[in-house]
Amino acid sequence: MSTRTFSTPAKLKDALGEQQYIANDEIATIMYLSQQLGKPLLTEGPAGVGKTELAKAIAGATGRELIRLQCYEGLDETKALYEWEYAKQLLYTQLLRDKLQETLAGATGLAAAADRLAAEEDVFFSMRFLLQRPLLKAILSKEPTVLLIDEIDRADAEFEAFLLEVLSDFQVSVPELGTLTAVHRPLVVLTSNNTRELSEALKRRCLYLFIDYPTVDQELAMVRLKVPELAPRLARQAVELVHRLRAMDLRKSPSISETLDWAKALVTLNARQLDQQTLETTLSVLLKHESDLQRVEGELTRTEPDIESRPPRRPRLDDDDDFARYRRNN
Amino acid sequence: MEDRIVKFISALRGGGVRVSLAESADAFRAIQELGIQDRERFRLALRATLVKDAGDIPTFEELFPLFFSSGEAPPLLNLAQDLSPDEAGMIAEALRQFSRKLREMLEKLLRGESLSQQELDQLGQMVGLNRADDLRQREWLARRMAQALRFREVQEALRQLMELLAQMGMNKQRLDQLRQLLQANQQALLEQLRQHAGQRIAENLAQRRPDQGIDDLLNRPFNALSDQDMERLRKEIRRLAALLRSRIALRQKRAKTGQLDAKATIRANLKHGSVPIEIVHRDRTLKPKLIVICDISTSMRYCSELMLSLVYCLQDQISKTHAFAFIDHLEYISPDFAGRAPNEAVAGVLARMPSGHYNTDLGFSLEQFSRSFLDTMDSRTTFIVVGDGRNNYNDPRLDIFSTLARRSHRTIWLNPEAPMLWATGDSDMLKYAPLCHTILQVGTLAELTAAVDRFLIQR
Repeated sequence: MSTRTFSTPAKLKDALGEQQYIANDEIATIMYLSQQLGKPLLTEGPAGVGKTELAKAIAGATGRELIRLQCYEGLDETKALYEWEYAKQLLYTQLLRDKLQETLAGATGLAAAADRLAAEEDVFFSMRFLLQRPLLKAILSKEPTVLLIDEIDRADAEFEAFLLEVLSDFQVSVPELGTLTAVHRPLVVLTSNNTRELSEALKRRCLYLFIDYPTVDQELAMVRLKVPELAPRLARQAVELVHRLRAMDLRKSPSISETLDWAKALVTLNARQLDQQTLETTLSVLLKHESDLQRVEGELTRTEPDIESRPPRRPRLDDDDDFARYRRNN
Repeated sequence: MEDRIVKFISALRGGGVRVSLAESADAFRAIQELGIQDRERFRLALRATLVKDAGDIPTFEELFPLFFSSGEAPPLLNLAQDLSPDEAGMIAEALRQFSRKLREMLEKLLRGESLSQQELDQLGQMVGLNRADDLRQREWLARRMAQALRFREVQEALRQLMELLAQMGMNKQRLDQLRQLLQANQQALLEQLRQHAGQRIAENLAQRRPDQGIDDLLNRPFNALSDQDMERLRKEIRRLAALLRSRIALRQKRAKTGQLDAKATIRANLKHGSVPIEIVHRDRTLKPKLIVICDISTSMRYCSELMLSLVYCLQDQISKTHAFAFIDHLEYISPDFAGRAPNEAVAGVLARMPSGHYNTDLGFSLEQFSRSFLDTMDSRTTFIVVGDGRNNYNDPRLDIFSTLARRSHRTIWLNPEAPMLWATGDSDMLKYAPLCHTILQVGTLAELTAAVDRFLIQR
């Protein structure tokens, strides 16, 4: 499949829309910048706002292959970059024993034999025995790719420093092979849940995109897109309720994917309205902590009568409490 | 325009956002890509390249409109235009009854004239706008400027004017209309003042040298810090913590190239028929374990917030940290820190253990520690006590302290007091001193940083 680049942010936004990813102008513009400047994009935000999804969507929209590197504590170069396949090398030496003997036949003395063997060394340290891990794969790929480095904050600071080198030049040196340079610069998307501060140096090399929870209308559009079976009025009620939950001080606020799951649950249960009973049976789809559940149930029964008349509370970016809650939740 | 952007960037720096040279270069490249016609895109281009921390976004959003708004004052409406000659006469008559200064002001409002740049500058000078470089002062300064304009008196005068006009027999409907328009004009004028104040502050911010005097701040004693300094120090501590983290990582990496681990090498190479292809080195784990006991009693309050922030950062960096705080008894505070923002966590601990009339008792706290938490301490643990050793003449329990000191890998005492004060009053410092491996005086943040660096070396 041929790959595409986009000439304006608006076109990028439309293309993301075709991938069933509803991007706002902010996301589309910054993503576009990342493509134009060739800089990695660092996305941060609460869990479940579609950071990983964005990388998948951009891969789909540009027609590039998505290469994903999931970070975790203890991730090191051998898991992220490359590794020699010892077992395969050994197997080949075993199988090629006759051939080796042939090569070595007639050599006088140990030194001469060693020299001859050394001449063949390249065979065993070639691309054939190189096990490519995601980073190297993205660099060596013949086609342009999207490299997703997921949850970079989980990796050690040591790995982060190593990543700097790769992200700035897109080249790695393998001692036995020399320096390998990227054929195409991959589009790099890093995601972070902000469990720890990333280093200044890494941030400096990236463009920064903070994705917050969407507004009611945006989220409603997502629900309508992904769960079209849900009645429009019910969908709006559901989304508004989710927004009210997010405004509460919960241990874990419901994410977008949980909203979608809930919408599907409502469809499956043939719910006609958000009454007490439906809520009680389905709230566990949204809330994953017992204490949250109890709190919300208490709160909802108290304010049940005006559930529909209340204006939705939107999470605002400039709200300090939101940041505090976001940090706490992560 | 470029000039404006450069100024904006230095204002961001002045506002505490760390913007590197490379990032400002990126900003310019981004603007080249997106152009400056679309204000929204322009804003996003700047934000994505300059701001790399969600916490800095509010600063950005506040400064941006001050630099890149149209810069025009909100429009004021000219009332004089649609007045009939009759009405104009009435107003002129009524106006005559006010003093000159008020009359000028009222006429301005009626004609819908905004303040000239000169007038604004004059006002700014009167309220000290030239020295202001903190956006939080904006509203206050705008109010001060309104006061300098005698806004309240003008409002009062307007009310009187309306009454006068009513007496003179102006149409009531017309009068209401007039009042509304005048009110709108007043609002617009206030908005103009606000804008002016914001812009001036932003410009001052841009001129302020970033990180001005941070070195000076680092070397200032803790009890000589103002609230504003504290805010900056907190930021500095967070930055130090990140630095520490990478330093730890480096140390741990270096330690990997240790001795050959024969056992592990043989085991690893069994699959190759015991031909040693993979060499395994002994992994010298330098992962430090910390136990921190922090005094937050009255005598330490002035620095306990910073000390707790430090404890928080340590816990953030070194996963095996157990933190305790004490006044008259010991409390385990690690759970308070877990998963909370630094300021909040520290404030939470301080609120849970308010300083009061009860006495500092390290002896009892040590006893509690050895009773309930002794198992957390082993030969790899660094035991850190943060406090001034002022024990209110309670039993210092040197026996327990020496057991703990012997049991731990190292015992470090951080004391904000100068050594010459140790023997004075109720200080037991000299009794504890021989039992510690190291005692560091940490009266300033620079000393604190050096001290923390030493925990991590662990030699």
